Amino acid sequence: MRRFTLVAVCATALYAQQFKFNLDHLAAKASDTVDLSLNGSTLQFAAKFFSGKDPDEAKVKKLISSIEGIYIKSFEFKKDGSWSPADLDSVRNQLRAPEWSRIVGVKGGEGAENAEVYLRNEKGKVTGVAILYSEPRELTVVNIMGPIDLEQLAALSGHFGVPKVKLPK
Amino acid sequence: MDWLEQELKSALARKEPSPGFSARVSTAARRPRIVAWPRWMAAAAAVILIAGGAAGYRQYQGMVAKEKVMLAMRIASGKLNRIQEQVMQVSR
Repeated sequence: MRRFTLVAVCATALYAQQFKFNLDHLAAKASDTVDLSLNGSTLQFAAKFFSGKDPDEAKVKKLISSIEGIYIKSFEFKKDGSWSPADLDSVRNQLRAPEWSRIVGVKGGEGAENAEVYLRNEKGKVTGVAILYSEPRELTVVNIMGPIDLEQLAALSGHFGVPKVKLPK
Repeated sequence: MDWLEQELKSALARKEPSPGFSARVSTAARRPRIVAWPRWMAAAAAVILIAGGAAGYRQYQGMVAKEKVMLAMRIASGKLNRIQEQVMQVSR
């Protein structure tokens, strides 16, 4: 009984960290779709195939060693207005206080990009990250579960095939 | 002629083969030779093939998982960097 309760508590905690994307209807309109769903066991399995000797691979290996899941949906469209603010709202509404707190919110002008970063805190520790990124022809939602160092993640840019993104202004 | 010579002569004397001898020889020559492999050898070969296939499939699955992780990292860190750039632009 005690074991069952422990499993139920863990499952509830994980479920609370992972939010629902509710974005599948956009796949039909999108010209490009990325749908990644990597749970803890897949990440641990993948970690075995990263070399510990290569410094760049070792960084990724270390980064994913504590992560419990990575869930990404990214859509690119051929024309503006293919997604609606309500699509993003359905995700945003799940990222509520006190668990989730928005640490960054950048809102561009008409036709510009909007970005938000949310952190899930539990007992003073980061236990989840959500990134909402949108452009008129792009919508990306990232959910990383588990303790993660954002600086380490951002530092991957420019290394190991992770390009340093420089979009035209 | 001594006894030894006589013995040799009788031992090496030409003898006609038994009836049907040539037919039996030609039939045996035509029959394909079947090499009987031991059963354990066939089982061992099967085990090696299955184990090799499983290891290869596991390696393939691992590389696919690794590629997915890299794609996830590429997207997540790319977006974070873009956001950092935007924040820096706003704060200037």
